[in-house]
Amino acid sequence: MSAEAMERSERLRIMNYDTPAESDWETGLHPMDDLLRGERLPHIWCQGCGLGTALTSFISSLKWLEKNQGWDLDKVAVVSGIGCTGRIAGYLRLDSFHTTHGRAIPFATGLKIANPELKVIVISGDGDIAGIGGNHLIHAARRNLGITVICVNNFNYGMTGGQVGPTTPHEARAVTAQYGNYEFPFNLPYLAAASGASFVARWTVLHARQLDWTLRKALIHSGFSFVEIIAPCSTAYARWNPEGKGLDPENLRRRGLEVMKHYQKVGKTEQGIHPKDAHVKVNSSGEVIEIVEGEFLDETRPDFKEAIDQRATTAEKFWLSEKNALDKRKKLPPKKGKVPRTEIQLGGFGGQGIMSAAKIIGMAASIYNNLEACFTQSYGPEARGGAAGSQVVISSTPIHHPHLTQPTSMIMMSQGAYEKYVADLSPGGVLLIDDELVDLPAEHREDIKTFGIPATKIAQDAGNNRAANTAMLGFWTAVEGIVDKEAMQESIAESVPPKTVSINLDVFESGYKRGLDLVKK
Amino acid sequence: MALWRQPLDRDRIRIAHGIVHIIDDRCKGCGFCVEFCPQGTLAISPHTNAKGYHPPEIVPDVHCINCGLCTLLCPDFAIFIEDGGKHTPDKVIPIQRYEGRDE
Repeated sequence: MSAEAMERSERLRIMNYDTPAESDWETGLHPMDDLLRGERLPHIWCQGCGLGTALTSFISSLKWLEKNQGWDLDKVAVVSGIGCTGRIAGYLRLDSFHTTHGRAIPFATGLKIANPELKVIVISGDGDIAGIGGNHLIHAARRNLGITVICVNNFNYGMTGGQVGPTTPHEARAVTAQYGNYEFPFNLPYLAAASGASFVARWTVLHARQLDWTLRKALIHSGFSFVEIIAPCSTAYARWNPEGKGLDPENLRRRGLEVMKHYQKVGKTEQGIHPKDAHVKVNSSGEVIEIVEGEFLDETRPDFKEAIDQRATTAEKFWLSEKNALDKRKKLPPKKGKVPRTEIQLGGFGGQGIMSAAKIIGMAASIYNNLEACFTQSYGPEARGGAAGSQVVISSTPIHHPHLTQPTSMIMMSQGAYEKYVADLSPGGVLLIDDELVDLPAEHREDIKTFGIPATKIAQDAGNNRAANTAMLGFWTAVEGIVDKEAMQESIAESVPPKTVSINLDVFESGYKRGLDLVKK
Repeated sequence: MALWRQPLDRDRIRIAHGIVHIIDDRCKGCGFCVEFCPQGTLAISPHTNAKGYHPPEIVPDVHCINCGLCTLLCPDFAIFIEDGGKHTPDKVIPIQRYEGRDE
């Protein structure tokens, strides 16, 4: 023990004061000490601060729920953000989570969704919940997420020295609003109710008993419950405002008490009124002249968890029917021989079925021929008539790079696509075009093989000009032979609309025949 | 009771009594318990605790009715009430216990 400490203990002994061997916070004198982390106490809150009272009310309601509703306090988690109120999570001997500034509700959302058994309670200040985290508040309320948000509102940013905040009443003074606040504050219960909270209440800390009862209801409530607690900030807010008797030297040491007495005077209990009318009225000098308090809203609506569960049941049904259809697919023998990495570029204008053609090739290769396939697409913003391109890579081995490096095969169905893509085709590659839609220029590349069929005309003759892509596919299957004909037929039958299956298969067949004829020549 | 007229059931009435426990050294002297005690059981004491604040003390001849408001209002967990059973109104016992201080 240092000389200084010796001196102190000696002085205390003379003053007839025994330093306890262990702090009474840890040994537990008070009935609430079992829910407090004694090693962290006494807390840092100022003399006359309302946060301690908010905490006792909260502990009291938890104890009641444990005793009368059989709550397991191991299944209660408290989340808080930054600020004086944010320290509550650190003082409670519960599973607690002290998060980043304003993000208490997102953390709580994750906690609740990952473990729906938990009762998740967010306790934080007005700066944390309505200021930086305001967006999270409204969205959690909108989803009716099953958590309880307790916002302790002291009308300013207390921990940083009393700056004006989102809940500072109009005309009230703060350290950064010395001539009165020119902004208008949030009405937090109204905000929460308008955003979709299903339980909304407000009390001042003076009404600790009513607050205790309301917190019990809010904690039992299944949807999003929001409780605003108005608490005095004895050091910062009360210093500048008439409630705390301003700079009157007679009252300097009991500003918190003065504010509590003021709450006794101005508090007006109105249970069940519309949250819109739940005012905190101020007069022209910034003094709060009326605080409407009570439980404003308590309705039963399906909460976020129930909504997810309902949707999951629907999705599961849908997925099972899909899976049944997939299981009924015809099994074809796998493709004989190895297929090296083959890159195919398709091009045309939107509406010709460039994407679906590429998808049909990919499905035929991957599902029916037991190969690896990869499909990417690129198109302009127009749904019909714009330039469209799609790329397929087929290989026997896994494909590690989806992008085309050297396409060896191209299907071009418009002049624009031809001009855009033909330069990419590797020497010796195969170019398939629709004769009628692509005019080969005089300077057409001579190091590639070019074949053409009037695909659109074939499709028109068969009775559906939108089947032109299928004609090109038949043609491509005959010329390249990378994917089996049967596989392509199965893939087409699965991909096109059911009414057009026979037309598409006919068109595919005629394209295939023309391809065989050309290859023979 | 110096009243000459008294209710006939006076000897059968039982009212709740509380035993006030004050943990002196936790008190920050905010005065909430003293101000809002419905019975006026508490007063600011002249002595100071280890932090230099004046903790509350019991006013003589006023009894605590075990409402527990001071337990809820105290921000520093420095005061609590133990159930002292039910007694007749005549039996005004100023019961108090100071934790951590020799009386």
